[in-house]
Amino acid sequence: MSNNNPYIPMPVQISKIINEVDTNDIKTFRFTFLNKEDEQNFKYMPGQFAELSIYGKGESPIGIASSPTDPGYVEFTVSRAGTIVPGLVTAALHDMNEGAQIGLRGPLGNPWPIEFLEKKNIVMASGGFAFTTLRSLINYMLHKDNRNRFGEITLIYGARNPGLLLYKDELAAWEKRDDIKSFITVDKGDDTWSGRQGNVPAVCKEVAPSPKNTVAVICGPPIMNKFTQPVFFDLGFSKENILTSLEMRMKCGIGKCGRCNVGYKYVCSDGPVFSLAELEELPRDF
Amino acid sequence: MTDFKKIEENLKTESRRLLKEGLVTVVLAYGKGFDENHPMPYAAKTIADVDSIVFNEYCNYNMARYLVRYPQGTKIAIAVKAADSRAVIQLIQEEKVKRENLVILGIPVQGMKNPKTGEVIDSKTTCGMYNPVLYDILLGEEVHGVKSASPYDVLAEYEKMDKDARWEFWKGQLDKCIRCYACRKACPMCYCDPCFIDQSKPKWADKEPQSPGNMMYHLTRFHHLAGRCIDCGECSRACPVDIPLYLFHKKVAKECEEMFNQQAGMSIEDKPVLVDFRVEDSDKILE
Amino acid sequence: MLKKIAIEKISQLAAVLMEKGTLLAPVKEVSGHNFAEIKDPKQVDLDFYNTIMSPKGAFFPHKEDFVKYKIGKPLSEVEPAVLNLKPAFLFGVRPCDVKSFEIMDIHFDAAGIIDPYWRFRREATTIFGYAYDLSQPVDSADFYNTLGIYAADPEGSDIFMVKKDKELLLKAITKKGENLLPELTVLKDGITADEKYFTEYVNKGKEYKTRFMTLDQEVVAKKLEDIFDNTDFWTKMSAACLSCGICTFVCPTCYCFDICDDTLFGKGTRRRVWDACMFTDFTLEASGHNPRTQVYQRLRQKICHKYSYHIRKYGVISCVGCGRCTRHCPVNIDIYSIVEAALKA
Ligand SMILES: Cc1cc2nc3c(=O)[nH]c(=O)nc-3n(C[C@H](O)[C@H](O)[C@H](O)COP(=O)(O)OP(=O)(O)OC[C@H]3O[C@@H](n4cnc5c(N)ncnc54)[C@H](O)[C@@H]3O)c2cc1C
Ligand code: SF4
Ligand code: SF4
Ligand code: SF4
Ligand code: SF4
Ligand code: FES
Repeated sequence: MSNNNPYIPMPVQISKIINEVDTNDIKTFRFTFLNKEDEQNFKYMPGQFAELSIYGKGESPIGIASSPTDPGYVEFTVSRAGTIVPGLVTAALHDMNEGAQIGLRGPLGNPWPIEFLEKKNIVMASGGFAFTTLRSLINYMLHKDNRNRFGEITLIYGARNPGLLLYKDELAAWEKRDDIKSFITVDKGDDTWSGRQGNVPAVCKEVAPSPKNTVAVICGPPIMNKFTQPVFFDLGFSKENILTSLEMRMKCGIGKCGRCNVGYKYVCSDGPVFSLAELEELPRDF
Repeated sequence: MTDFKKIEENLKTESRRLLKEGLVTVVLAYGKGFDENHPMPYAAKTIADVDSIVFNEYCNYNMARYLVRYPQGTKIAIAVKAADSRAVIQLIQEEKVKRENLVILGIPVQGMKNPKTGEVIDSKTTCGMYNPVLYDILLGEEVHGVKSASPYDVLAEYEKMDKDARWEFWKGQLDKCIRCYACRKACPMCYCDPCFIDQSKPKWADKEPQSPGNMMYHLTRFHHLAGRCIDCGECSRACPVDIPLYLFHKKVAKECEEMFNQQAGMSIEDKPVLVDFRVEDSDKILE
Repeated sequence: MLKKIAIEKISQLAAVLMEKGTLLAPVKEVSGHNFAEIKDPKQVDLDFYNTIMSPKGAFFPHKEDFVKYKIGKPLSEVEPAVLNLKPAFLFGVRPCDVKSFEIMDIHFDAAGIIDPYWRFRREATTIFGYAYDLSQPVDSADFYNTLGIYAADPEGSDIFMVKKDKELLLKAITKKGENLLPELTVLKDGITADEKYFTEYVNKGKEYKTRFMTLDQEVVAKKLEDIFDNTDFWTKMSAACLSCGICTFVCPTCYCFDICDDTLFGKGTRRRVWDACMFTDFTLEASGHNPRTQVYQRLRQKICHKYSYHIRKYGVISCVGCGRCTRHCPVNIDIYSIVEAALKA
């Protein structure tokens, strides 16, 4: 029964750890599957998440940061959670080394709606470590087999300071490409920073993407979302064409444990991706 | 015998007056439930709300547990029976509420009943007192000339058990616990947020309803209430599986009284026994 | 097919069922009756109104082990818990509770990912429904009529039982029941008069009145959506609520759980344990953010989940009116009254 028991994780091994930020509290973990069969069954799309499972600590839902166009592994970018006391699972994971084994349950939830995005221009506004599943989406769309399925791609991504930007190498590589317009910004620069300064909502205003045949994906910390959404409404984007990803405390990740509901939707199985139009139908209970 | 109707009338009159004169913003009392035998704890905030206030023999709730829900400084009128007034006193001692923010409506009463069983609530499960210890306004005649049994009489059987038998007794009782936490939520002295049992780092006890988690939860809670439990019996009445939690609380209260010559919640001049140090204190606790 | 047995010989029937598998039936405990796995046939006690805890624990136990693990050992050494899938008999379930299984089936066994534990336990179990005793007064907390359920409804049971004086009549309702009944050799065949009694009893069940209000699913679902932001209303409704776990733990249709790792001396078990939306930490996130810090928000979640969200999601109210939450609430909060008040709010 363990094979198709949705509560039992499959074993994976940490094959690579990348320290993303100077504060050392956000790392990207690359996992390879211990069983070939699990790898084949783990078919995911950008926007989905999985439960990282450490026996003795528990499980945490984490967005998938890699793109299915990169086979052979999955990546998650994990922030060490907890302000006063460290988060159980995320802290334990941060203390692990390459070669360690953990469990993985997934893929879970709904991906970014690729079919809906096809043939459209896409503008992404993101901040902090909520960027992870957008990184997955970008790498998916930029892949040579997929690039011509989408229109113009624009990325507006910010962090508090340069040291807190994720995926620095990829950001640099994207800036050089002409099939993605990227606007990387920091709230406050330092000596090494020659790029843009200003917060994400301000940069969105400046960039002022046209709403025509365009979908906006806004995915950042609550405060960023709060100030960025009005910018897009002002630009003429409709609620149907603004997407976001929600976060609620989760346990099962499969719509059974009853924990993560917003109104009649379970964020884990009916989300985490929602359009603002869909969210408007739900009570403000998150 | 207690004139419940009269008390209800007085309770309503005083509540209306206090709200009308703006002396309080809320009256914590008892309200209509889905039928006569099932009244509910009630918070009247307007004069119109007062119409729903009731008082009958099933209004056994200790309203003191709701005091900490209101921000410090809120002017509150609270209806209290004997044990409830002790809870208010204890909360004042522990600086959870200030005396000057309270209007205490005292209810002397005899013959309260447990709505679930219909049994009269007496010194077996509570302190057995009839008159409130502290009040501003008394809503009925004080009960005099009726001697109630000592709250510790019920311990006679329990104290006959030796250490092993007591362990077995509690193990058997606590195995039944379903960890609904109604006991701590019903308790006026369990106001910690978060409660130790809800902490996950460190995690003090497993969540499933079995030992050792059950033991850990209850033994810790029992000890957190040492010298503080005012013996209202609300925890035991709330328990859906009828665990006689009062036995432990009473036993500890008795020991405290013997050692420190003080009962919980009897005077706002007192300090909680386990916080206060007096040279003459018994050393028995160290044995 | 209808069979019967003298109630005083019920332990003989229990013994036969125990030979065939696991028997879960009401037993008398200090505080009232509860379903328990029967070890001694004499424990079975049909002289009860309804159990304190609902029978959902037969399929969704308070704790369910997933795996056993050892800290520091490779994951290949993790052992999944073995489900005991012996045939099981759930004996003496009241009609409202029988109905709750159907509602829970949608959640655990029909929508999205299938919960294997619920499904396998459910498949292995034969349900012996048991009509309420119509000669006894109805408990004032009950309101299953409001949910379209009557005191002697046989639907949903595999075998349905009614009391006839000193006898128990057992009628097979489903194929599963048809197959099992003849194998229970301690039973005697029912006669025509018994058939008649049974049918009449079922009909008389419709006259046995609990609290009742006319409830249109669409109307109540919509109404609760509309008053979600009416904080005054919810604050009033929850003024007494202790935010404990009683109402959800005793409820036959509450399904929330937590997943816990319990480790002792390097060995541990990952299991699920019942949880409840009434607990403060239910929605507490690692960042400290909690969308439901107030009692009124949690009680609102409970009521809205049962009488609105569940209708939107699964097309049915998540309540069977068994009255347990009201009966066992330490402060007499009554879901029926709240729904009634909500409709007028
Ligand atoms: C869909 C989704 C995607 C996410 N993606 C990422 C990501 O890519 N990177 C990242 O760093 N974080 C992500 N998070 C947040 C992450 O899940 C929490 O920070 C993490 O669960 C904290 O776990 P902990 O054990 O360290 O903390 P603890 O405080 O010890 O939490 C205990 C348990 O509660 C649950 N829990 C606590 N907080 C949350 C939360 N915010 N969301 C969900 N469950 C929670 C988990 O089951 C956790 O194990 C995501 C959350 C969701 C819902
Ligand atoms: S009220 Fe009773 S069952 Fe609930 S936690 Fe307390 S002792 Fe356990
Ligand atoms: S409604 Fe009653 S049983 Fe439910 S949480 Fe509130 S006090 Fe507890
Ligand atoms: S909500 Fe109450 S009445 Fe409805 S099924 Fe649950 S326990 Fe029974
Ligand atoms: S959310 Fe609350 S009411 Fe709904 S099933 Fe879970 S515990 Fe029950
Ligand atoms: S995490 Fe369990 S229902 Fe969403």
